[in-house]
Amino acid sequence: MHVRRPLMAVTALALTALMAGCAGDDLASENDEPTSGSGGGGGDGTSVVIGSQSFDEAALVTAMYQQVLEAEGYEVETRLVDTRPIYLNEMPDSVQIAPEYVAGIVDQLNTDANGPDAKPLSTSDAQETIDAGASLLEEKGITLLEPSEAYSANGYFTSQEFSDSEGVTKLSDLEGQKVTLAAAPDCKGRTDCEKGLVDTYGIDITLEPLGYASTETFQAVLDGEAQLGQTSTLDGTLEDQGLLLLEDDKGIQPAQNLIPAVSTDFLADNPDLEDVFNELSAALTTEDLAAMNLQVDAERQKPEDVAQQFLEDKGLL
Amino acid sequence: MELFSETWQYLLDADNWTGAEGLVARLLEQLLLTATALAAAMLLGLPLALWLGHLGKGGFLAVNISNVGRAVPTFALLAILVAADWPGSADFGPYGRAGLATLIALVLFALPPLITNGYVGMREVPSDVQEAADGMGMSPVQRFRRVELPLALPVVASGVRLALVQVWATATIAALVAGPGLGRIITEGFARNDYAQGMAGAVVVAVVALVLELAAAAAQRAVDPMPSGPSSDRDDALSVPSTTVTEAPTGS
Repeated sequence: MHVRRPLMAVTALALTALMAGCAGDDLASENDEPTSGSGGGGGDGTSVVIGSQSFDEAALVTAMYQQVLEAEGYEVETRLVDTRPIYLNEMPDSVQIAPEYVAGIVDQLNTDANGPDAKPLSTSDAQETIDAGASLLEEKGITLLEPSEAYSANGYFTSQEFSDSEGVTKLSDLEGQKVTLAAAPDCKGRTDCEKGLVDTYGIDITLEPLGYASTETFQAVLDGEAQLGQTSTLDGTLEDQGLLLLEDDKGIQPAQNLIPAVSTDFLADNPDLEDVFNELSAALTTEDLAAMNLQVDAERQKPEDVAQQFLEDKGLL
Repeated sequence: MELFSETWQYLLDADNWTGAEGLVARLLEQLLLTATALAAAMLLGLPLALWLGHLGKGGFLAVNISNVGRAVPTFALLAILVAADWPGSADFGPYGRAGLATLIALVLFALPPLITNGYVGMREVPSDVQEAADGMGMSPVQRFRRVELPLALPVVASGVRLALVQVWATATIAALVAGPGLGRIITEGFARNDYAQGMAGAVVVAVVALVLELAAAAAQRAVDPMPSGPSSDRDDALSVPSTTVTEAPTGS
């Protein structure tokens, strides 16, 4: 067990990295033209591709999307990759739907369009953020449906040991210190990640691209190789691992409510999608999401099974 | 096309070359990694291959060791090494994170061309030359050092050259376990949707690979005891001077 879990994780890392490497070709060459369905009401075998990130929470929400769409008669293919830009590049043509986070997608579109130094559009208010990104979304051909109340942002943790010895319980306690951060490779330059920690908190960050809430990231913090690691604010596994989520006391995390991002053209052809996703978004709460994350992360249940249980409980299947 | 001009812009920006995570620092990391891995592989592989070639025995062993080596995916090996308790992902001096694991994976990757060429180079020394050496009363060690090794050197050197370029280009996989080298620039570029950065990293890797290839080719030519090509020194030295028969014999 001691060796096998990290081994599996490294293999997964390898696979996603390989996918990242060839994503440009693969995604573009297939499914450029989704066969159009019967129009309104039901999927009737219309094929649709969901693109998402591969960490557990994103995989869980992807599984929910897949199951509600399949129940409507759509033919669903999912593609889970390492970071957001990889599938966002393929939207809206060869990837039609993505389970997104409000600030995540708006800020990514902003930096894609206006360069890495563009001032972030996101605020702590979900609707405000969506409105700020309206023109970018329209240009990209993506429509955001109703945001869910469920919220999950980047969280930063240290080991309990480090917290005790250095007296660190919130991010501002690290001000002026030289800190190694284990995080996703797209963390660099993001105001809710490396840039925010450097500019807002004044922490001297060295980034190690070990992945978002990945086994390598947890291991690096436990081994003391990194002092800080990146995970979800809803990560329920930290305490059992002897890790501690630090308080984001200066609030660098914007409105990261869950929200379905759908290709505008695809939505026009399949207007029934809107009701399907709005029902799901309305049913999902932050507490539900945290509880389900724990089932996947700590109890090692499959995201598909957890998603199915939730959808059945809520009468969505 | 836009990507190419952005890549060019990235390469022209001095800021991208300097600093702890700039192209120069990553380039030096990767050169150090490549040189160390190649040197270690030569120390391990060449004596064995040359000795087996000299004996003319164990060819089955040498060729199969290197073929098995070729079949093992280097990245899978790296992943296993990093996940294991030793060598793991610990920092290793100037080689950075997962340095030792990366070095071991690259050394094993470099062995097949070195062993194959070392063995084949020795075996291809013509048997009449070997017999002539024996006939002159050379001991096996003298024969090895003064006859076989010089004649095998071009083939051995071409194995080293092959290994050098392969190891250099493959060293980028270290980035997949957050290790050192130019791969970091490439993977970070792709992860952040900065394809110009990813391309720039790849361009630098390719250009340096070409430079290494040319330098190795020059070195290979330098060690060749019988250089072929336009230089005809050897022919002049060995052939019977034709001037002796310029004048046709006439009856006198």
